[in-house]
Amino acid sequence: MFTTIGDVTAALSAQRYIPSDEIATTVFLAEKLGKPILAEGPAGVGKTELAKVWAAATGRDLIRLQCYEGLDETKALYEWEYAKQLLYTQLLRDKLNDLLAGVTTLAEAADRLAAEEDVFFSSRFMLPRPLLKAITSERPVTLLIDEIDRADAEFEAFLLEVLSDFQVSVPELGTIRARHQPMVLLTSNNTRELSEALKRRCLYLHVDYPTAEQELQIVNLKVPGLPPKLAQQAVELVQRLRGMDLKKHPSVSETIDWARALLELNARHLDRATIEKTLNVLLKFEGDLQRARRAMVRDEGDRARRERDEFGRPRRDDESGRFRGN
Amino acid sequence: MDQRVVDFIHALRAKGVRISLAESIDAMRCVEIAGVADKQFFRSALRASLVKEPRDLPTFDELFPRFFSLDTPPPLQQPGSGMSPEEREQLAQMLQQMLASLSPEQLRRLFEMMMTGQGMSGSQMRQFIDENTTATQMTTGFQPWATRRALRELQFDRLEQLLQELLQKLREAGVSEAALRQLEQEARENREALAQQIGKEVGNGLQQREAEERRRRPAEDLQDRPFEELKYQDDDDMRAIINRLAAQLRTRVALRQKRANKGILDAKSTIRANLRYSGVPLDIRHRRKHLKPRITVICDVSGSMRAVTGFMLMLVYALQDQISRTRPFVYYRTIADVQSDFQQLRPEDAIRVVPDRVQGGPWQTSLGSCLETFTRDHLDAVDRRTTVIFLGDGDDHMSPPNPRAFETIKRRAHRVVWFNPEPPYRWAREDNHMHIYGPMCDAVHHVSNLRQLVAAVDGLFS
Repeated sequence: MFTTIGDVTAALSAQRYIPSDEIATTVFLAEKLGKPILAEGPAGVGKTELAKVWAAATGRDLIRLQCYEGLDETKALYEWEYAKQLLYTQLLRDKLNDLLAGVTTLAEAADRLAAEEDVFFSSRFMLPRPLLKAITSERPVTLLIDEIDRADAEFEAFLLEVLSDFQVSVPELGTIRARHQPMVLLTSNNTRELSEALKRRCLYLHVDYPTAEQELQIVNLKVPGLPPKLAQQAVELVQRLRGMDLKKHPSVSETIDWARALLELNARHLDRATIEKTLNVLLKFEGDLQRARRAMVRDEGDRARRERDEFGRPRRDDESGRFRGN
Repeated sequence: MDQRVVDFIHALRAKGVRISLAESIDAMRCVEIAGVADKQFFRSALRASLVKEPRDLPTFDELFPRFFSLDTPPPLQQPGSGMSPEEREQLAQMLQQMLASLSPEQLRRLFEMMMTGQGMSGSQMRQFIDENTTATQMTTGFQPWATRRALRELQFDRLEQLLQELLQKLREAGVSEAALRQLEQEARENREALAQQIGKEVGNGLQQREAEERRRRPAEDLQDRPFEELKYQDDDDMRAIINRLAAQLRTRVALRQKRANKGILDAKSTIRANLRYSGVPLDIRHRRKHLKPRITVICDVSGSMRAVTGFMLMLVYALQDQISRTRPFVYYRTIADVQSDFQQLRPEDAIRVVPDRVQGGPWQTSLGSCLETFTRDHLDAVDRRTTVIFLGDGDDHMSPPNPRAFETIKRRAHRVVWFNPEPPYRWAREDNHMHIYGPMCDAVHHVSNLRQLVAAVDGLFS
């Protein structure tokens, strides 16, 4: 599908996703080796988005399994549709009577019923969950297993089986093998250590916050109407906030939300009032907000002092009165 | 190239990065695909297949250039390219004379290499360094230092002096000044190249030695060692042990919960499960009694207790997924809530800072008044689902015992458990109030090593 890394970068970019070299390399290797990717990193840096654009870029369907505490096989793999089975039994009662007509012994009746048993335990009555869907799909798929760190350790162990052979066994039906080997992306927010067995089977991708340059590209791509200068300032501010000691650093998705908010508010430049009004899009904790505000006030004080010359007259500076990233 | 990758994997392992055989096979396959032409690609390919922990990334970044950097030492050149044949003849003669009388042997070899341009291969140079210096036997793996030491032991700085002597002799023999200057230049370049090669080989030697030592170190079982003997220095080892113990505990807890199918009848699930038997309840389902414990740990951080406190907190935080809420407190002369430290830092870092959150010094443990403070300010950390764990030796040098406060905590809590690293016969000595608090607890465990600690923590989940 891809012959060089450049192809990967181009295909992902065509889906409006800007991959770093590392992301492109890992995706390329995963395609070549058929191995799952384990993407770790802070929340909101585009791990889930990567799965979506990967699927779109390769023309595969995306199947998503969201993990949570208590997730088990019946939610992830398959379940029998008992209600439907019962309903069918009721509706087919006459048919069953016909079938059993003329039977003299119990054993004979049981034999005849047993011959029909397969009808009730067939894929007709099976409710496929994401994992089985991914395996039985007619079309090639990309399987996204989101936030695997939230699932229990037992589920992780079960997942290993599926990921290593891409087959599952259903007792009533036998073993189901994948028609197309799905491409798998697991994401984790690093809330707990994943087992080594799982890590061993995956290619590891550490997705971190993007550099200022990349983030500016992302903002320009996702929020095209934003004036370039404003975008530049916004990204600088976000990058600076990430350098501060905050409880939760603003993620890329929050930068995009903020840029959209600035666009909606028709902001021309980042003055203090605009920042005050919209900072809560970036920072979600009261303590963080206050800390950021204090830092900004301190900055302005510093700059005001710098902008006055030794006689107390303002120095000429075309950006005075605005907040700058650095 | 394959050998180089294998060496690189060994070096990574020596630095404590866990790489399995399967992963090294993957790395080889990745390298096959990536090729070596594009260095960035090659690097990311190795990284994606070998490094699975963010904390190992710096190690990778440090080692990668040492193994795959392109700056191999430049080859030596033959000095004297700008000389006439007669002058070259003179040079060869003078050099022979000087070499004949030169000692020690290793300096003679170096000077010869520098002036004739006939160097050694990597492995020869390694042998040369190993025979003549002690640099690669150094216990510290700090490469620049070891390199300097190797150069000093080889008397590398005397090369300049020898070069000047030789030049002087040639000058007296009437060799032209321009030719001499060029000779000097070429000899100096050779010397730099030699120094680089030595540095590189010293680095390789150090890494190999480190890898061997790592392999030699016996995998001793630290579980039965008393806490005082366990130094809290090798973080990686300790973390590995704690994680292993935590994994064992987790499996045990999970198994126990699976077998103990007792709980109240789960009507909804039973009906669903028995639809296949047309509603005849053959398969009875119970609501899983999977109440995760809430834990409040109150730890003594006086000098003698610090090690065991560290392990206890590490273990509790390694088991976070089995616990619904943890509230850590530490006490010495005063008591402090250290939950925020554990929220902001990784457990192993938090453990290092929490002793500073409280006041106190030797012989200042004041358990009685700390209990008083706790019942006054922090009782919200105890409710009827909470298991309160006291971790301490029960010493109290400053205040009288405070059974009333202890009783208050006990009345509110689900259980009160005491982990004491000191043996029971010392519990009744002066200044120790264990004999008062002990009988009031639901359980008292003597924990003097990791095995006992794990057994005691295991008891919390049953």
